[in-house]
Amino acid sequence: MAEITAALDEQGANKLLDGAIAAIGTQVKSGSGSLGPFVASYTVSGTLTNGDVDLIPPSTIRIVDLRLDWHLDFSFGIDLSDILPDFCLPQICIDIPCVGEVCTPKICIDWPTISVPISFGDFVKTTADFQIVVNLVGADWVVSIKVLGVPNLQFGATTAALLAAIGLAVTPILLAIPFLGPFLAIAVNAILLAIGVAGVTGFLGPIITPFVSGLTFEIYKQPKKFPVLPAAGAFDPAVDITIDAIAAVVANSGEDELVLTADVSP
Amino acid sequence: MFDDFDSRALRRTDCFGQRFMKPGTYRYGVFPASGQHLSQERPYVIKVDEGRPGQKMKQHNIMLSATKGGFKPDKAEIGIDAGDMVVWNCPEKAMTPYAVVGDKEFFASSRLVNECGYSHAFGLPGEYRWVDAFGGPVGGVIRVRDPGVKTEADLSKWRETLAQGTLVMVDDQQAKPREVDIMVGQTVFFAVTKSRGLSITDERLLEKRK
Repeated sequence: MAEITAALDEQGANKLLDGAIAAIGTQVKSGSGSLGPFVASYTVSGTLTNGDVDLIPPSTIRIVDLRLDWHLDFSFGIDLSDILPDFCLPQICIDIPCVGEVCTPKICIDWPTISVPISFGDFVKTTADFQIVVNLVGADWVVSIKVLGVPNLQFGATTAALLAAIGLAVTPILLAIPFLGPFLAIAVNAILLAIGVAGVTGFLGPIITPFVSGLTFEIYKQPKKFPVLPAAGAFDPAVDITIDAIAAVVANSGEDELVLTADVSP
Repeated sequence: MFDDFDSRALRRTDCFGQRFMKPGTYRYGVFPASGQHLSQERPYVIKVDEGRPGQKMKQHNIMLSATKGGFKPDKAEIGIDAGDMVVWNCPEKAMTPYAVVGDKEFFASSRLVNECGYSHAFGLPGEYRWVDAFGGPVGGVIRVRDPGVKTEADLSKWRETLAQGTLVMVDDQQAKPREVDIMVGQTVFFAVTKSRGLSITDERLLEKRK
């Protein structure tokens, strides 16, 4: 039988997780990913905020509306010649008085490669189930919770907003390319169609999801051996106890509680 | 991006034309702009025959391709008649600006002298004030409007205007007309009849250098 038992109700668990999730802080990652047919390099930061904790016996901690605020700086290159047909200036003939007619040749222009930088942020909410994991790490007992499975993040309106942001970012770049101005709308459409909603979702998913999938955070840490009574003099030394085992479960004793039990020995 | 407009440094949408009024052999080279000062080589040849009196001017086009450190014409040697015009253009995508420079003083795109011309297709809207980079008093303004394409019909209409070029006659003292209004994509041909040597240079390029 356990010698020490501690229990937290959902309200207490909420407070505990508020602090534990806040302690994770802002995480930053960099890499590259596919944005439709383009390759984008990115730096993304994400900050989690606790939602509502629901304790589900025997061992699940569910966080409803776990919020991830993310900010993404990315850039991608577009070889415009891949998505726009070449444009040719026709032959132009000019009659020069007393000289005769002079003609320029037909001149074709293939479009350059451009780099589009974009800064974009949003948040996503999800419901995630966590399991309790207890480990002896070195001289400490550590109780963590670990997300189960891969939460399905729904980007919804974010996708359209990011596509719009790409359209806005690409417009001034295209306008600065000689001869492209009259084709601006066509060029922007071609880029947005090439990326599409699927391209944005396919880009965001692998970048944003890792902030939540595989998420593990510590909720309790206790040295295996610790003093229960301090030394009171030369002939009255400190009294230490050793925690031999810790178990954590979600139990229902009238209400759902997170229960930690510890077996101790002198 | 900037639509560089400078007869001393020819680009993809530029052409240089030179008439040869007297029979003879004219040698020339094509160099990265300003590179003509580093090389005395004039490996390409234009042989000019007498021609017949009253004969109409003919045009001969030479297409250039970029090579390492220079440019190569599609025909190393051509034969023409006196009074004919030769027009050079380099259609390549990745190329440095260039100059066509001959062994006679009148024959150089870097300094337009007699019976020659420079054309430029304007790719960006704006007001282009041009001057003679060699300090002459001649100059002018090219105002380039955005065609405001909104529909397919606008686009077709704009495309039709691209075939219309504008001629500016230039000598040491003046340009006629001095001011020109065109649309993006249209071409202006500057014909230099007689001069001591001038350039058609966007004044912003000279300001940049200052």
